[in-house]
Formats: sequence, structure tokens, C-alpha cells
Amino acid sequence: MGFVAGMRIYYYRHSKLVLALLLLVLNLRWITSAQITKPNVTFEEVSAKNSGLTWVHNNAHSADRYLPETVGAGCAFLDYDNDGWVDIYFVNSGPSDFYNASTPLKNALYRNNHNATFTDVTDKAGVVGGTFGMGVAAGDYDGDGWADLYVTSYGRNILYHNNGNSTFTDVADKAGVAVPGWSTCAVWFDYDNDGKLDLFVSSFVVYEKSLNILCTDETLSRRYYCVPRLFKPRSSYLFHNDGNGKFSDVSKQSGIADSPGKSFGAVATDVNNDGWMDLFVANDTMSNYLFINKGGRKFEEVGLAAGVAFSDAGKARSGMGVDAADYDGDGWQDLFVANIDREFFSLYHNQKDLIFTDEPGDIGAATQLLSGWGLRFFDYDNDGDPDLLLVNGHPDDFIEMRVTHVKYKEPLLMFENTGRLFKNVSAQSGAVFSRDFSGRGMATGDLDNDGDLDVLITNNGEAPVLLRNDGGNKNNWLGLRLVATKSNPSAVGAMITWQAGAVKRSRLKTAGGSYLASHDPREVLGVGSSKKIDSVEIRWPSGKVDKLISPPINTYVRVIEGEGVAKSDPTRAK
Amino acid sequence: MFALGRTTLAFLLVLQSWIFVAGQTNRFQDRLEKAAAHIRDNRIAEAEQQLNSVLKVSPNQPEALNLLGTVRAQQGRLSEAELLLTRAAKIDPSFVAVHMNLAFLYVLRNAPEKTISELKQVIKLEPSHVEANYKLARMLLSRGQIDESIYVIEKVKPALPASVMFLSLLGDAYLRKGNAEKAEENYLLAIAGQKENADAILGLARVSQARGDKKSAIGYLAQAKELAGNSAELLYKIGVAALELEIFDEAQATLEQTVKLKPDAPAYLVALGASWLKKPDLFAAERSFRRALELQPENTQGQMYLGYVLFKQKKLSEAKGYLEKAIKADAGVPEPYYYLGLIVQEENEDERAITLLEKAIKLSPSFANAHVALGASYLKLKDYPRAQKELELGAKLNPNDSKAHYQLAVLYARLKDPARAQAEMRIIEKLKALEQSEKREGDTFVIMPAPPNPR
Repeated sequence: MGFVAGMRIYYYRHSKLVLALLLLVLNLRWITSAQITKPNVTFEEVSAKNSGLTWVHNNAHSADRYLPETVGAGCAFLDYDNDGWVDIYFVNSGPSDFYNASTPLKNALYRNNHNATFTDVTDKAGVVGGTFGMGVAAGDYDGDGWADLYVTSYGRNILYHNNGNSTFTDVADKAGVAVPGWSTCAVWFDYDNDGKLDLFVSSFVVYEKSLNILCTDETLSRRYYCVPRLFKPRSSYLFHNDGNGKFSDVSKQSGIADSPGKSFGAVATDVNNDGWMDLFVANDTMSNYLFINKGGRKFEEVGLAAGVAFSDAGKARSGMGVDAADYDGDGWQDLFVANIDREFFSLYHNQKDLIFTDEPGDIGAATQLLSGWGLRFFDYDNDGDPDLLLVNGHPDDFIEMRVTHVKYKEPLLMFENTGRLFKNVSAQSGAVFSRDFSGRGMATGDLDNDGDLDVLITNNGEAPVLLRNDGGNKNNWLGLRLVATKSNPSAVGAMITWQAGAVKRSRLKTAGGSYLASHDPREVLGVGSSKKIDSVEIRWPSGKVDKLISPPINTYVRVIEGEGVAKSDPTRAK
Repeated sequence: MFALGRTTLAFLLVLQSWIFVAGQTNRFQDRLEKAAAHIRDNRIAEAEQQLNSVLKVSPNQPEALNLLGTVRAQQGRLSEAELLLTRAAKIDPSFVAVHMNLAFLYVLRNAPEKTISELKQVIKLEPSHVEANYKLARMLLSRGQIDESIYVIEKVKPALPASVMFLSLLGDAYLRKGNAEKAEENYLLAIAGQKENADAILGLARVSQARGDKKSAIGYLAQAKELAGNSAELLYKIGVAALELEIFDEAQATLEQTVKLKPDAPAYLVALGASWLKKPDLFAAERSFRRALELQPENTQGQMYLGYVLFKQKKLSEAKGYLEKAIKADAGVPEPYYYLGLIVQEENEDERAITLLEKAIKLSPSFANAHVALGASYLKLKDYPRAQKELELGAKLNPNDSKAHYQLAVLYARLKDPARAQAEMRIIEKLKALEQSEKREGDTFVIMPAPPNPR
């Protein structure tokens, strides 16, 4: 029990009876559709001049059209200095067997100045990169309370250990996670529920300069980017966190290496509600993989039987971005995968028996000509249900000369959750939705701590785009920073259930998702126009359950596993 | 078929009716003659006046009823026209012209079974009626009743030895039956009768294609095109033939030319849309089909194609509307049921999908795609025995259908039979290797029925 910001907070442990009685008395029900008055939410682009984010991605674009040029790069929201404000990390290209920059390229770390501006602290922090970078995943792998960074590359990957003093040290070799070849997405999650963050790393195709194939159009007499179908697949990696700063490569013994892929997006989620985190991995020009976690020892790939491997016609598509969420509130995790133009994106609804059906609804027609990368289920309007943002862009800069109606730069799309369906609200969501981008990575996070989630997008060969959420916090909310004591430090796998009035919702804390990106680790629970949150329950991966009764609203709080609310976190007044 | 303009139709109706008014009483004859002349001159009110004066005295006068029926048809009042014409036919069942008029009327009303029935009635009354026999044979052929079509032509052929038109049609029928030799024989006979017979030359192109001789096929096509000049009808036929021969660029160029010559012909626009589908450019195809339907909202082929192209773009609700209209207009065509079935399947209405797909299969038992889609619905409903039966049948009917093998692979994987699942996946890999594997493309189009014939 404690007092926070003048509001009384109660904490109960294992109070199932209390909750059951409360449900009975109030005639509560689970809801499956948005019932809250919708605030007018728009995303406003924050210029580099105003934000200080002057970094620009260099894609190393060449006449030879080496494939790594067109798939990067990623970004992250993370709080590297534990000041309660999310900072930003960008990944850039760099030296490789096919590219030498005339001036050195750098990744970038921007510290949040708490006033919607950022300061470049890359050099000071020692996180310049120096590889041909792809994506990034933030996670406190050693449980010291400081977020570390894993940077994937075409070449060698980097593990930046956060020294806790605003500097980092590359420990990838020492930790055993340097990984050769071409890596794309990385996911920190605890596959064996031992309380430590393990690491999944997506491998793309077998590639090196000498393997670059001549892909050309006779009428154009110039090269374009080859279809990945022409290259061989590779096995992805699973590393077990040994807890001593080192990782063991368990790719083979876990079964992950049995399924070589051309992997891009990956998300860790629990599709069969057995308490073990599974993996959904998008593959380009190959079947997608759904790895089911068999008790933390093995993974079984069941994509074909689950119906998520191919299109309904049995065609392998160009899977790129992925995410997972229980979008219809039925208690089961659903999946999303974005593909290339004319392949349509898939929204896989979980049938609760390891079978999924593709039910894209209006997303189908809207994405017919688009190629999707970064994407994320998140509650942009704080009405309590997950909405969906899609970031798009064609990988081939010559596409407009070869295919009618398909463009190289493509628009963003915003879909609002209306229960079992998604409604395209892009036209009402801000001027940025009428612009086109060479979009790739995308991360969500509350950069100004005002309670609504903002968006960071990286564009291939161009400046990133920072979108400030305006209006999402007109609805009420509660922000949680989950601090694990026994569970994994990111609380991946935690189930959060909250109730406000007659509305009860739940959310599984997944890991990964989107493309080459890493999100704000905090969870913002939307409650619509409700003035009060009756209760919040956190079921931690360790099995512990914390319950908060009548917690405050419109603020961030830190919840320590086994102790409940400890103290408030920085919050900007509404 | 029979896609005549209203004015032309009325003219034909009048002419045929006119033949049969000659034997009536002088007074009636005079009025009927006048009425026919007024109709011909589009003086409808005066024609009606003459006809009403006859019917006032003799309400069951069949010739007057027939003529008034044609007037109503011309006015677009098809229900009234049908009432008048059927009354005339009932009063005088041996009245050949009224049965021909009913046949035309049922074309306008999209009632092919009734058209066929009326044409058969005409032939029963007048076995060597050239037009009725020709139209009947064409109609049967377009509906896939190939043997019946051949029977009609072979029966009438001895009575009309020099009919190039029939020979060419007979060639078409034999080709559809898979008998290239007999088809060629009849096309050549047609050409012997009329050297510059473009229909027969196009037929020879199809024969060459059936024999795998694409070069000759293209040669015949070029020959036919030389004869076409600025004839929109001939160019249309050449375009459709090029579509069938899978010479898509040629098909498109020819059909563009056709539409340029006659921009307001719905059938031509539908064919042009079909050529865009093959490109594939769904947007251009959609534009063509929409234009066709603007000109002729009840064009069943247009409705079906537009429904299809919207479905391919996942514009499901609008697609449904057009396919439902197509089914309402002609319940005897399997494709709209199939595509509507696929749409409701996507919308999770599996029971309805099953009903629709079963209808498609009932109409066309060897419709492989429909069996596969039906199997997929059973698979979604976890009715694995039925799914297996339909999917295996689909794969048997079309062994090159990747979707059938994929659904079987999913089924076997769910039945915990990984060996069979993998075997199916290997078949898909082999099929993929046969395709142009370097292309990134969406799902391929299911074969659609040939575009409509303008006649």
C-alpha cells in the first residue's frame, strides 16, 4: 500500500476471490469492440529542425544494386539513461565487402531532452556501429537495470552493453552473439522462462559481393534489385542467455536451425496460451515460420498446418514486417504479416487450436499495391484496443518503370480497431498520411510522456520521420513500467488485465514485431473516457500475480514484480 | 450472343411479323400493314392506334398481339411484351414468327433456357428455318452443350449444303469437342465456299493452337486481320481469338482498335477488359467493365467480370453485388457462384460458401477450382473427410492446380501426416518451376469463360 501523487493506491496479491466478487457485483463483461467515444487523433510530423534528429540514413545505393542496400534500416525507442524518458537509436549502413563510404557512416543515439528535442550523444556513448547495419533490439540482457542494444548487420552483429554511465561497450564476441552473414531482425525474449532474456536473430539469404546476380530489364538496360528468390536461405539463430554475460548458440538443439529461411520480421508471442513464448517469423519468397515453443526445450515449426505459411493459393509470399496482438479481445494472440505489392497483407485470426484464418477485411483492398515493412498493433487513441499502423515502400527503386500502378515510395496507413474489423482512418489521421515514403523500420513510444504513443519511422536512404500523437491522450490511460525481479527484465510474456467500469481488457507483453525496430518497453493502458481504473492485474511470466486496485490515471507508474506499485514515473500533465 | 440493338431487333421482329399478316382479312390486313409501316418508321403511337383498333374488334387476333408485343419490346416494356407474345403463341401455336420473337425477347430478358425452348419450337414448326437453327446451334455451343449443337447443325446441313456460316460454326463445335480434324475439315469447307471467310480462318488459327503450332496460329490470325479492315465485329472476333491463343499483346491491341471503332458496344468493352486481366492490369480491366455496364447495366458477362476483378482487388462487398446480379440474370453459369463462394469464404460465411460452391459444381461437375474451394471451406470448418474428398477430386481434375495441392498439404499436416504434406509441397515446387519463376506476382487468374459473342 502507498500514496502516489496524492492518490491512494492499493495492492493485493492473489486476490482472485475479491476480483471475482467485484465482477459479479458490477455485472462486468469482456468487450470485443470499441465502445468509447473516439477522440480526434492525428499524427503530426516533427521536423528535424524542431526535434534535433538530423541523422539521415545512407543506403549505399549503387549501380550494381547490392541487395542489402534496399532493406535497411531500423530504429529503437529506449531509455538508455533510465531518466524515465525514451531516447532514440538509429541504424545506418557502413563498410562491407561491396561498399566503402567516402566519409564514415554512423549509427546515432539521441538523448531525450524532456522537451521534445533530442541531443546526439552517439560518440560519447560509443555506439557508432561501423558495420553495414540493419536493425536493432533493446533489452537488458544482464538484468543490471540498464537497457543494452543488439545491432544486426550485413556482416557482423554488435552487442552494446550499457555500462550504466551513459556509455556502451561492444561485447558481441565475448558474449558469443557476433553472428556472421546477413542478419535482419532481432528479438529479446525468454524462451525457457528462466528469467533471463534470450536472443533470436533472423537470418536473411546467403549473400556476399561475389554472389550478386545480374538482374536487369532488357528494355531498361540497367540493373534492378534482384528478387530474394534467387538466393539461398539460411538458418536463423537462437541464443540461450547463460546468465554470466555469455550466450550459448542453441539454434540446432532447439530446432530453429532445422528451418532455414530468408527471414525478416519476427515477433515473440504465445499463440497457444501455454505460457511459453512462440515465434512468428516472416520469410521473403518462402513460407513463413510459426515456431511453437515446446516447454522451453524445443521449437516445432507448424506454419503449414497453422495456415500462416503461404497465401491461400499456396504461394510463398514476400513476408517482411510482422506483429502479434489479440486484436478482437477473445484472449488469443492473432498475427499480422506484410508482403510485397499484389500479394496482399494477412491478418491471421487465431482459431484457438493452432489454426489461423486470414481475415484482413478492409486492409486487403488498401494494401493491394503496397509493400509493407514496419507495422505495429498499438492503441493510438487509448480506447483500450490495439489499432494498426503500416509503413510501406517498394524495395525496387525502378519499380515504376516496370510495373504500372506500383510506386517506389508509398503512403503510411492507419487502421482503427472496430472490434473484429479494422477501419482505414488514414485520411483523418494527419497530413503525413498523404505523403509517400521509402519506409522500412518503425517503432512506437511515448517520447513526450503525455500518455499517447508516438511513432518513429526510418526511410531507406532518407531522413527518418518522427510523428507526434496529438489527441490520443484525450482518452484516459495508465502507463506501466514493469520492473521484473524474478521474470525476465523486459517482462516479455506478462499478461496485463485492466478494468474500468464495465470494460475489461487484457494485453500480452510481446517482444519484437514491426521490422528492424524496438519499441518503448512501457505499456500504456487505454480506458477511453472512464475517469477511473478499477483494477490492473499483472500476471508475470514467473507466475507471480500483482493486482492494483484503483490505481491513478493519466500517469506513468513503476510496478515491481511481487511488490506492486513502487513509485510514479515521469509524466507530462495532460 | 444475340446482343442486338433494340432498333435492329424491332426491325427484325416487324419484318417477321409482316410475313404472317398477309393472309388476314383485308381490313385487318390493311391496318396491320399500316401498323407495321408505322413501327418501321418509329411512329409508335400511330402503330398502337392501328393495332388497338384491330384488337378492339378481335381481341385474340394473333398477328395484332404479336405486333403489339414487338412494340412493347421496343419500348423496353418487356413484361408486357412477353404477355402479349405468349398470348399470341397460345392462340396460334403454329405461328412461327411469334416464337422467333419470343426467342429474341428471352435473350433480352437473359433467359437462355426459354430462348432455346422457343427456337426449338420454331424448328419443330419449320425444320429448315435457317436462322432458328443457326441461333440454336450457337446458343447450345456457347452453353457448352456441344453434342446437341453438332446434332442441330449436322441435321440441317444436308438441306443447306452451301451454308458457309453453318460450316464455320460446326468447325467451332468440333474444336470445342476436341476433334481438331473434323474442325479443320469444316473450316476448310467453309473457306472453299467463301475464300475470305474470317470466321473460318480464325477457326484454323484455333486448330493450329490446339495442335501446338502457335506459329501457324499467329499466321492465320494475321490473315484474318488483313480481311478485317475497319470491321469492328471482325476485329472483335480476332481479338477474342488472340485472347484464346494467349497472344495477349495482339489481343489487347486489336480489342483497343475495336473499341475505338465502336466505343459504345458493351460486348467489345467486356472483351477489352478481359484482355487487361491477362496483362494483368486490374485497374484498366475494371474501367472497361464499368464502362460496359454503364452502357448496358444488365450485361451479365460484364457483371460477372466486374465482380471478379473487384474480388481480385479485395473489394469484396462491391464484388458481391455484381456477382449476385449476374446470378440473378442467369442462374445457369457456374463462375459467378464460384467467385461469390470465394468471397463469402473470405468473410467467414463458410456454410454459405459451401452452398454456392455446390451450386457451381452442380452446374459444372468438372469445375476443378470449385471442388478445391469447397474443400478449402470444409478444411476451415475442420470437416477433414469432406475436405479430403473435394481436394483430391480437384487435384485429379486439374493436377496443375497449386492451390489444390497446397490445401491438401495443409490438410495432411493437420492430420499429422507430414510425409504426404511434404509430397504435396514438392508437387507445388515442381509446378512453380514450370511457371516464370523469376516474376514477383500475385495469385494468377482462374480461367474465365470466353468473352461474349456480339451476335
